[in-house]
Amino acid sequence: MAYDKPIPRQGQHNKPFWEGAKQGKLVLPHCLDCNKVHWYPRLICPFCHSDRLDWIEVSGEGTLYTFAVQHRLAAGNWAKELPFVTAFIDLKEGDRMQTVLLGVDPNKPEDIKIGSKVKVEFEQANDDTFIPFWRVVES
Amino acid sequence: MKMPDLSYRAALVGACESDLIGYPGGEERTIRCTSLQLHIEAIKNVSAYTGIPISDIDGVFSAGWSSELAEHLGIHPSYIDTTSVGGCSFQIHVRHALAAIASGMIDTALISHGEAGWSYRGMGGRGGGGRGEVSPAEEATAAYGIAGAPAQYAHSMVRHNHVYGTTPEDFAHISVVTRQWAMKNPRALMYSKETNPFGGEITIEDVLNARLIAWPMTLYHCCLVTDHGGAVILARPEIARTLKSKPVWVVGAGESMGHSNMVEMADFTATSAHRSAKMAYEMAGLSPNDIEMAMIYDSFTITAGITAEMLGLAPRGRGYTLWKEGHAAPGGRLPINTNGGGLSFNHSGMYGMQLLVEAYRQMSGTAEDGVNGDPGKQTEASNCIVNGTGGTLSTTGTLILERD
Repeated sequence: MAYDKPIPRQGQHNKPFWEGAKQGKLVLPHCLDCNKVHWYPRLICPFCHSDRLDWIEVSGEGTLYTFAVQHRLAAGNWAKELPFVTAFIDLKEGDRMQTVLLGVDPNKPEDIKIGSKVKVEFEQANDDTFIPFWRVVES
Repeated sequence: MKMPDLSYRAALVGACESDLIGYPGGEERTIRCTSLQLHIEAIKNVSAYTGIPISDIDGVFSAGWSSELAEHLGIHPSYIDTTSVGGCSFQIHVRHALAAIASGMIDTALISHGEAGWSYRGMGGRGGGGRGEVSPAEEATAAYGIAGAPAQYAHSMVRHNHVYGTTPEDFAHISVVTRQWAMKNPRALMYSKETNPFGGEITIEDVLNARLIAWPMTLYHCCLVTDHGGAVILARPEIARTLKSKPVWVVGAGESMGHSNMVEMADFTATSAHRSAKMAYEMAGLSPNDIEMAMIYDSFTITAGITAEMLGLAPRGRGYTLWKEGHAAPGGRLPINTNGGGLSFNHSGMYGMQLLVEAYRQMSGTAEDGVNGDPGKQTEASNCIVNGTGGTLSTTGTLILERD
C-alpha cells in the first residue's frame, strides 16, 4: 500500500541527507572546523559559525531522550494510527532528532524507558523519500 | 515633555549586503535564492566586516524572521524584535535597538533582512510569509505526526518525571489550585457549574481520570481555548502621575529564547525563563525571595511548574510543590495565577495579555473591580512577577511589577 502519511517537502540544502536515506544510511551535516554533527541542517554551523560544512555518515545509533503518547492530536493520516508514540532521540554523535518511535506498545507507556538504545531504519514513502524512524532495540 | 535624549548611546558599526542581489539566476531563474540564504549571507558579511563574532550578538531584529534566524545561527538572544509593519520596519528596528541598548539590556543588536522577492516572486516569498520555500526545521520534523501544542509539551512532562521523579499527579495539583482561583473570578470560563458544565471545584482524581490528550497529560493538564481581547498602556512617569488610574511600576524586565522548534530544546525540563528572570531580578534589585505573587503562563501544568523553577520560586524539580503545599492557593504565601489561569479562566491562544491585565489589577488594588472579581481575589502582594512563554517552551518574557 502506498505511503499515506505526511512526506516532508525536500529543500535544496538537504540533498545528501535524502540521498543517503535512499541507501539506508543516516547522513548528517558535519562541521570541518569544530567537528560537530548537527541536525536539522544549517547553512552555517550552529556551534562555531563556520561555513566549512560537509556531510558524513553516522552510526544510526542513539538513546531515547524523552517521549509521549499521542491520543488525540495527529498530523494527516497519523490520525489513523492513534495512539502512537512520538519521541526525541539523542544521537550517539551528538545533537537530537525527532521520530515516531517503533518497537514499543503505546498502551503500555510505563514500559518505555528513557535511555533505551535505539537504532534508525528507513521507510520508503515515494521514489525520492525514505523517511528515518527510530526503533527501540534494547531497554 | 520631550522624549529622552538617546544621542550617542549606540552606533551603527557596519552595513553589508548579501553576496547575491538583484536577479540571481537571471530571467529564467536558473538558481533560486531563498530569503534565508540572503539573510545569512548578509549576516556573515557584516560579522566579518565589523569583526564582531556572531556569538556576541544578543539582540535580533527582523520583519517576522527573528526566531528562525536566531535558531539557525545557534544563538540565544536576550532581545528579540520581529516587528513587521511594512517597509518602515527596519527604521523602527533601529529605534528599538537604540532604546534597548541605552537601557542596558543588550550590547549588540543584529538587524537583518532577507527577502526573495525575485527568486520566489508570485510563490509567496518569505519577506514575512513563506509558502514557496522549505524550512530546514520543518523538513526535519514534518514526517512524525506531531500536531498541536499538547502533543509537543507532553514530552517535557515525561522528561521532568524521569529526571526529578515527579508524577502527573504532582502536576495535577496545579490544575486543582488554579481552579480554586477561577472560582473567585466570575469572568472565568470554569467559575462554576453554571458557567460551564466542567466548571467549579475539581479534584486530583478528576484531573487524573479525565481523557488522555497526550500521555501523560489529560484534558485538565491543558489550557482552555477561548476568545479574549485586551490592551494595556504603558506611560512615562510624568504622564502616569497625572492620570486618574493608578500607576504600576515596571521595575524589572527581561526576554530570552532557547529555541524555535522543540527538536532544538536543549533540556526539556528547562526554559529560557531562567535567563529572562535573571535580567528582570537584576534590573529590579530583587531576588526570588522578595517576590510576593506571580502570574505564570499556564498553557499546560508542566509549563507553570517548570516556569516556577526557572523563576527561582522553587528549586529545580520542585516547582509543583508551590501548588501542592498550598502556597500558590488563595490565602497562601505566594499567590499564583489569581485570575484562574489559562487552565480555568481564559486562554485564547496567546495568553500573555491575560497575565498582564490581572497583574495590573492586583498591583493597582483593583482585582475586585466589580466586573472581574468577588471578594477574596485581591491579594496583599506589593509586587508581582509575570512570565510569558511562547511557542513550544521556546520564548519567554519576564516582568516584575510593583505597587505604587
